[in-house]
Amino acid sequence: MLSTEFKSVGDASWRKDGIAKVTGSEKYAPDVSVDRMWFGRVLRSPHAHARIKSVDTSAAEALGAVCLTFADVPQTRYNERIVSTPPCLYRDRTVVADKARHVGEALVGVAAPTEELAEKALRAIKIEYEVLQVITTMEQARKDGAEPIHDTVLLDGKDKPIVNNVAVQRTIDVGDVEKGFAEAEYVIERSFKTSRIYHAQMEPKSVVCRPEIDGGITVWASTQSIHNTRILLGQIYDIPLSKVNVKKVMLGGSFGSSIQMNSVTPICVGLALKAGHPVKIATTREEDMHDHVRYPSEIKLKLGMKKDGTLIAGEMHANIDVGAHNIQAFPFLGGLGGFWASLYKLPNMKYVGTAVYTNKTPSCAMQGFGAPQAHFAVECLMDEIAHELGADPIDFKLNQYVGLGGTFWGQGPASKCIIRSDGVPELLKTGAELIGWDKRPKPGSQTGRMRKGIGMARGFHTSGVGHAKASGAEMIDYSGAIVKLNEDGTVDLIQSLMDHGGGTNHAISKIVAEELGVPTHMVGLSPCDTRTSLYDVTTHATRGIYAGGAAALKAAKEVKAQIIDWAARVLDVLPESLVIEPDEDLGQGVIYCPNLAERRMTVGELARYLHLNSLGTISSSQSMRQVNCPPAYVSYFVEVEVDTDTGQIHTRRAALGSDCGTVVNPALASGQLIGGLSKGQGYALTEDNQWDPETGELVSKGFWVDGKTPSMSESPKVGDIDTHFAHTYEPTGPFGAKGLGEAAKNPAAAAFGNAVYNALGIRFYEIPITPEKVLAALAAEKSTKSRQAAPKAPAPVAE
Amino acid sequence: MKKYTVRLTLNGTPREYSVGANELLLNVIREQEKLTGTKYGCGIGECGACTVHVNGKPTLSCLELAVSADGADVVTIEGLARGGELDPLQKSFLDNNAVQCGYCTPGMIMVGRNLLDENPNPTEDEVRTHMRGQLCRCTGYASITKAVMGAGSAGAFRMPAE
Ligand code: FES
Ligand code: FES
Repeated sequence: MLSTEFKSVGDASWRKDGIAKVTGSEKYAPDVSVDRMWFGRVLRSPHAHARIKSVDTSAAEALGAVCLTFADVPQTRYNERIVSTPPCLYRDRTVVADKARHVGEALVGVAAPTEELAEKALRAIKIEYEVLQVITTMEQARKDGAEPIHDTVLLDGKDKPIVNNVAVQRTIDVGDVEKGFAEAEYVIERSFKTSRIYHAQMEPKSVVCRPEIDGGITVWASTQSIHNTRILLGQIYDIPLSKVNVKKVMLGGSFGSSIQMNSVTPICVGLALKAGHPVKIATTREEDMHDHVRYPSEIKLKLGMKKDGTLIAGEMHANIDVGAHNIQAFPFLGGLGGFWASLYKLPNMKYVGTAVYTNKTPSCAMQGFGAPQAHFAVECLMDEIAHELGADPIDFKLNQYVGLGGTFWGQGPASKCIIRSDGVPELLKTGAELIGWDKRPKPGSQTGRMRKGIGMARGFHTSGVGHAKASGAEMIDYSGAIVKLNEDGTVDLIQSLMDHGGGTNHAISKIVAEELGVPTHMVGLSPCDTRTSLYDVTTHATRGIYAGGAAALKAAKEVKAQIIDWAARVLDVLPESLVIEPDEDLGQGVIYCPNLAERRMTVGELARYLHLNSLGTISSSQSMRQVNCPPAYVSYFVEVEVDTDTGQIHTRRAALGSDCGTVVNPALASGQLIGGLSKGQGYALTEDNQWDPETGELVSKGFWVDGKTPSMSESPKVGDIDTHFAHTYEPTGPFGAKGLGEAAKNPAAAAFGNAVYNALGIRFYEIPITPEKVLAALAAEKSTKSRQAAPKAPAPVAE
Repeated sequence: MKKYTVRLTLNGTPREYSVGANELLLNVIREQEKLTGTKYGCGIGECGACTVHVNGKPTLSCLELAVSADGADVVTIEGLARGGELDPLQKSFLDNNAVQCGYCTPGMIMVGRNLLDENPNPTEDEVRTHMRGQLCRCTGYASITKAVMGAGSAGAFRMPAE
């Protein structure tokens, strides 16, 4: 909702970190340097799967370098993403590995006074490998007799054997799926495949660690959670948390890739502790590309329905390739299944998610966490069913989506809530008008070289993983904030919550300003670290404004109550009679009594009064968990143009809608949607990663351009993208706000798939829909047509 | 390793460095000068995050040897705002919300500034062609295009004439 009733919330102020960012003075982890700093490099495995027979670092040490091998690091395995609670946390990592499980696996850390010397020392290290069977596909991995990638993992303190390289399996059952399918009049089943793309955040992961004289450490790292980084480092190196200080530095993009503690962070700490010097590790792009990718998926989806298309049963089998380490497959599989359950009403469903180890770059969270994969399958299949039934996909979906009053699964079966705000009908109506939905061509009706098509997909992401249960949670989800009134009436907001770039911290400063009744510019974002801030789990699950903003609002409410209380005494009126409002001319918040015009003072005057009379600082420190996880709905309409000579697909127009409740940063929110479209276009049409099946090497070798991140000239033009917002108010969110960020991408691939179908009359069940695939499909269609064989789109199977 | 003396005018100030033959201009700027606004994104000319002006031309400092820049006039993002006043393009980036994580921003602004110097009122197509080598993963580029056009002599983004 774009609201005019608020003063700060929804205003068009420059983002608070903007000036630092446009002048180059903002500091990101790669920009940090400290006195007497050494430089670290990491020796990475050239083999995808190999036992380490021996490591000889003597030549490196003779050069003056310090080395960190498996023998030097704590041997207890950990999981680098401690968002999940211990029973859900599969631990298979050590600081450097005992065995190479993917090309690029960190085996030895090296530090030296110069980076050049560190690199020279690294090359002097000798490792003897025993090369093992390289496993690059899930089928290979699950075959009997396949080389085990991990023998066991640590789960809740116990060794859990890994059988057939299956990292974890999860099932969800709702209702009676067999009965449901037995009653179905139509059944349709399709298989979908999504790719293993690279996050391509602009900032390569970096870290600086300074050992302190008291045995503690200070760390500057690329991370989505300074507190989780702190807790892990404390656990791994057995340092009390009061002596582990992780500083908040700006993130140069992340998109999920720093939800876990980055692999170089504990290596850097180990080196610094061993060397007795501060150490910096700034990874190269090539290293970064070998470090993290998005979870790919192979999804088999079967839906059973009545003749009119009313869904009554669904079965989904999702297989995901986690690569060499299981960073978070358990919550991922829960998320995927839960997001599926929340898209359309399904009284009977069965879900089986299986995660499999391979010798490839580890998969981790990336914008959407299971939702883009679920959306691609479900939104494409719903479009296909609507077409088969001769229904308008918009009406078909509106009739069956999970909306107001329904149950939303925030991230798997453990976080659920009742839906209290729902802008879906408005989003679809507006989007359809903006794109010209009624004027779209008939699928497959065009014959020229260039063919246009319009596609639609809808969906959501969760806003956090809040839930009402007092114990037994699968995931940790709470935030903290400190708000304090300074002696001149300005306000400091101290919050460890990280901003990925979307403007979360700026938005939260507006929430605080709104509550206190002071102008936005009076609330400053304080630099902070783990010692001076309250815990925040991590900026993930689109929880920043909804959960982090709510914690800050709680603190601001308390501060406001104190301001009113003191002002009432000073002005000699009842506290209930006072209000605070921003006065732009004064540049201050003004406290006044509407009934007694002369009883007024600015917040600054009150603050000065309290200061000069030694009455203390007004402040509040609050921590909270949201008990809901409302869906941040989104709608995607895209128009593509397919060049049938080259197979290239151009994105021509888009209408993107968001139901994020109250829009706190309107222009930035619109920017989130457009950024989502860009990443969505890459995901749907171009981006992919391949691994050599023989060697397990990344075929791109770490060349970024091979990843095909969209560039400016490949993106739709400014005037061809519309963004719009639903007029909703989320009653459980701060000033009615819920999430937006990840939702901005989730339905993208399905919208592109449906648009390509509209242009060509051909369905694609695998992304990216590359020119090669388009040309092959066109050629296949031509030969089919010439033989006058099967219908071009597969029809639902009647049972 | 043999060291060479390199003299630059950096953001208007004469500077002198002793560098190895293989030292990159990017490293001189980031490590010796601690001007960290110029970013490392890839080191091999793929992303544009390291763009600076060398004798007025946008240059990928990750591909430029410091010795080959000897005698040059180099301007980094830190040299753009003069006397505490933001460059109009920097202001336009803020007005148009063209900054998200901000990691690509310095390179974007350096390339955009160069375009505007050569062509004070570029069309959208001219912006797209000139800036196509600059990667941004956050914004989807629309706001950046608007920001560059908004800092041109027309003072605003304008739709192409039909
Ligand atoms: S760092 Fe120079 S182009 Fe990427
Ligand atoms: S703003 Fe993040 S990469 Fe451009």
